[in-house]
Amino acid sequence: MKLSVLWLSGFAFSALLVGGYAFGNPGAQVPRDLTQSEERRSGTNNAHLPLGLPPLPDTVQWPTKAAVELGKRLFFDRRLSFNNTLSCAMCHLQENAFASNQSAKAVGFEGRTLQRNAPSLLNVAYQKWLFHDGRENHIEWQVWLPLLSPVEMANPSIGSVIERVRHLDDYIAVFEKTYPEEGLTPNTLGHALAAYEITLVSGNSRFDKWRFGNDDGAMSAQEKAGFALFVGKAGCSNCHHIGEQTALFTDMQFHNTGIGYKAMVDPVSSYKVELAKGVFIDVPSSDVERYSEKPINDIGRFAVTLKEEDRWAYKTPTLRDVSKTGPYMHDGSLATLKEVVNYYNGGGYANEGLSGRLAPLNLSAREIEALVAFLKTLDGELSYWETSTNQGVESPAAIADDGPVVLRPPGERE
Amino acid sequence: MLARWARVACVATGLLSAMGAPTIADETCNSPFTSALVTGQEQFMHIWTLGMPGLGDESDKLVTVDVDPKSPNYGKVIDSTSVGGRGEAHHTGFTDDRRYLWAGRLDDNKIFIFDLADPAKPVLHKTITNFVEKTGYVGPHTFYALPGRIAIQALSNAKDHSGETGIAIYTNSGEFVSKHDMPTGKMGGDGYGYDIGINPDQNVMLTSSFTGWTNYMMDLGTLVKDKEAMKNFGSSMAIWDFKAMTPKKVFNVPGAPLEIRWSLKPGDDWALTATALTSKLWLVHKDEKGEWQAKDVATVGDPSKIPLPVDISIASSRKHLWVNTFMDGTTRLFDISDIHAPKQVYSKKIGNQVNMVSQSWDGKRVYFTTSLLANWDMKGDKNDQFLIAYDWDGKELKERFKLDFIKQKLGRAHHMKFSAKPQSAAIGGTLETYRSLTN
Repeated sequence: MKLSVLWLSGFAFSALLVGGYAFGNPGAQVPRDLTQSEERRSGTNNAHLPLGLPPLPDTVQWPTKAAVELGKRLFFDRRLSFNNTLSCAMCHLQENAFASNQSAKAVGFEGRTLQRNAPSLLNVAYQKWLFHDGRENHIEWQVWLPLLSPVEMANPSIGSVIERVRHLDDYIAVFEKTYPEEGLTPNTLGHALAAYEITLVSGNSRFDKWRFGNDDGAMSAQEKAGFALFVGKAGCSNCHHIGEQTALFTDMQFHNTGIGYKAMVDPVSSYKVELAKGVFIDVPSSDVERYSEKPINDIGRFAVTLKEEDRWAYKTPTLRDVSKTGPYMHDGSLATLKEVVNYYNGGGYANEGLSGRLAPLNLSAREIEALVAFLKTLDGELSYWETSTNQGVESPAAIADDGPVVLRPPGERE
Repeated sequence: MLARWARVACVATGLLSAMGAPTIADETCNSPFTSALVTGQEQFMHIWTLGMPGLGDESDKLVTVDVDPKSPNYGKVIDSTSVGGRGEAHHTGFTDDRRYLWAGRLDDNKIFIFDLADPAKPVLHKTITNFVEKTGYVGPHTFYALPGRIAIQALSNAKDHSGETGIAIYTNSGEFVSKHDMPTGKMGGDGYGYDIGINPDQNVMLTSSFTGWTNYMMDLGTLVKDKEAMKNFGSSMAIWDFKAMTPKKVFNVPGAPLEIRWSLKPGDDWALTATALTSKLWLVHKDEKGEWQAKDVATVGDPSKIPLPVDISIASSRKHLWVNTFMDGTTRLFDISDIHAPKQVYSKKIGNQVNMVSQSWDGKRVYFTTSLLANWDMKGDKNDQFLIAYDWDGKELKERFKLDFIKQKLGRAHHMKFSAKPQSAAIGGTLETYRSLTN
């Protein structure tokens, strides 16, 4: 069975989808059919995946326990940054579904403001493109961008990272045991971190139990009504795909929803600032400018492809565990799920490249509440990734044994 | 269980009580357990300075300035000790014997211990690099002398860089002793920390609350626009049983209460603080029933403009309080004769921004520096960075000298501490100083 959106007949956006922005874009990638290989991949690798998740894509190899544990250690190690302050986990907080609720945009090396909101890493193994603009396409390569970015972990070079790790505790011994053929190299460092991130799977939500587990009582009437809107009147599933047997809630495509464009052109005259709980004041933007760094312009996917249609386009995020990953949108500009639904209810911010899938939805207040209620059913069962210690993730039981993995360059796995 | 260091503190407190003047601080805001008091003309000023990209060696440094008007070097930089890199240099504090100055960095959590045997030439004696590993806390902020120990109030934690944090106790030689989380849960605390103020006579420690790494490292303009981040500021103060190091009561003090200044008068039982975001002065005091209470007693500037009260300095006479407001670069003098109704009686614009204020023991000399946090300071040509010295005659601040830290390629001028050569006339006898305060 092909992974497909629920193009249920009679819904307003079906026609738009077929002729719409993403699939009409010659540069866009058609979502891979992740379920197609389910039968041949239904052995040990994927047998343990929680309800609602498809088999892992062919580009991802289910890691060994040794690699996962090494990667977990690296993921939480603040010493991987140039000034020993930032680990991966400081922006991708486990208690925030591996996103961060603390700020709209992530804060990096020496307090630098990053361009965008820290995305959740849950189910990152399924991502065809990484980062909001999709500038990387393999999870093992992705780790090097934050490690080397001067505004994130700020290491000056690949070699300096390797030397840094070489001199920390007994990493060398663990690398040599885990990767006897290579030891500590840029490849194995990327592999280990990716191995841990691949295990961050979340499924078996109330929605999954209802939709894929035949448990009619797992969702309330309001939540079911929200689902009907999600795949129907509201058209959410046009981009946040739901399959027949599994759902990743993303089409893996890039869309201009107007959020990025609005940030560029929409002048703000004042900001409503909460000084203490319930104490608000309006601060003129001219005042704020005195102590504001010059914001970094953000042109979205266009920075990667230089294709006009990619201007202010960003990747469709998964919605799994979305109640825990606010603030929302690529820039964290919307605080709550209700604000997000209201934004789309208005049809997005008009601009030349606005996705053709967006139009005013005319949702009632009651329908908005139902949609939000539905989105909250997507919280996965924490048992799949919640820690049993103060840091890190308890490895799923089905992770393979401690045998060494044989490394191949990621490109060979395509 | 009474920690060993706390037992020592009790003994010290008892000695002070026996002398009849238990609550005393030097240069009005230091720990009452600091033994040597600069009550005369201060000779040196140490400024913990943040490195700036593109300026000099770009690194944090301890800058020493000669502040003795009789010296040929008056108003000049006489020493600069660079510690390498930028780690958000912030506050400093003396050990109880005043031999060592501890200086912390809020970003990379390094703590530098300077030997002031010759205060004209501070020497880096030791660097603590495992504060996070030992404590789990991030952002060593306040360094507060205890007998033979240093209490370090942190601002954040290594788990999520939020504001939940605690107090770490170290020996004077730099060994970790114990950690004490800020109150949460049933007591009503938010777990946040900022400053420590101890009143040994009352056996109480008062703490305040600011924000975590994510916010204090963030660009201030970005922060003000960020609705989620603005929710993550402290709104509590806590009064602790000092000997037991256990919190007794938490007060709701919204808007980030920062610096804590106890009245120095022996027997007094009140302290003042300022809330940075809500622009209020708060009084923590004992009521008629002997219960500790907190209430706001004055407004600082126009709160709708977020003047951002930052450092405050109480006169040893406990009649006046200097309050700096960062955003408008203004210092304001409050008459606190009636502690329940402080009144602003004077103000002066110091620069485009102002943060720290230090006054001499007699209140006749007042010094200001400009930097708050590297990413909170004004941008571009509004980013004043200087040390400025004034005389205060009771009516006007009259400028004596100004050192431009950018022209001198030093960096962002932050925390100030006075010092004087051992055996010099500047250092007052402890007993005499106590007696002077009871008059």
